[in-house]
Amino acid sequence: MTYKVTEEALAHGNVCTIFLDGEIDMDVVEKAKEVIFPHIEAGKEVHLNLSQVQYMDSSGISVLIESHQKALEKNNKVIIKDVSKSVLKVIMMAKLEQILNLE
Amino acid sequence: MNEAAQANHTEKKAFLVKSSSLKEVRTFCREVFEKLQIEQNLKDELVLAIAEAAQNIVKHAYKDAPDSKDIMVVKISCEDNKLQIAFYDMGTPVDPKKVKHREIDNIKPGGLGTFFIQEIMDAVEFKDGGKPWINHLVLTKQL
Repeated sequence: MTYKVTEEALAHGNVCTIFLDGEIDMDVVEKAKEVIFPHIEAGKEVHLNLSQVQYMDSSGISVLIESHQKALEKNNKVIIKDVSKSVLKVIMMAKLEQILNLE
Repeated sequence: MNEAAQANHTEKKAFLVKSSSLKEVRTFCREVFEKLQIEQNLKDELVLAIAEAAQNIVKHAYKDAPDSKDIMVVKISCEDNKLQIAFYDMGTPVDPKKVKHREIDNIKPGGLGTFFIQEIMDAVEFKDGGKPWINHLVLTKQL
């Protein structure tokens, strides 16, 4: 898994976009958390761009859930953007398409 | 039914029981399913189910032995359009009665791997794999 982070200051606050790339499984899940969680904990609105993630297993889905819940605790949100068809299928299998903020 | 998957075929491969092997497990499965000419959607689902089962071995059967040098074996067989995926490991014995996924409406991290396996496969059974194996999981799917 590789990643790129961009940040911009918008009227409603700081938005951090994290572009993840590759396959997200148990082996890289700690790295994904290290990349994502500090931005949520810093109170930023996090946009996760998953257009280049072609595979995600239950470990990756858990990171999405945990990110979503951490953001709610901060009265903020995580928006999941440009989900690939294969990852969307896993999100839907977990019945999370109405829970997570997908765009 | 997948009309193309007619030929009987068996392949197996051993992997070190560690999380970095999961990518190799997926690659092996994709290669076998390519030979079986399984269509992409089903292939993606089967790869997910197999990877989740392999992950369970690493995460649960070897929970107390993260530095183990043991191997796990994944065997994929297709006979008369019935796909069977067998796993063999020498980790902590699994009590099948305790293998269950979380309530799907109780949204929280974790507990989804077993749910995915059960959603995708027709049958999930623990069997006797014979020595030296401790756990022998068999997943089946009619193609």
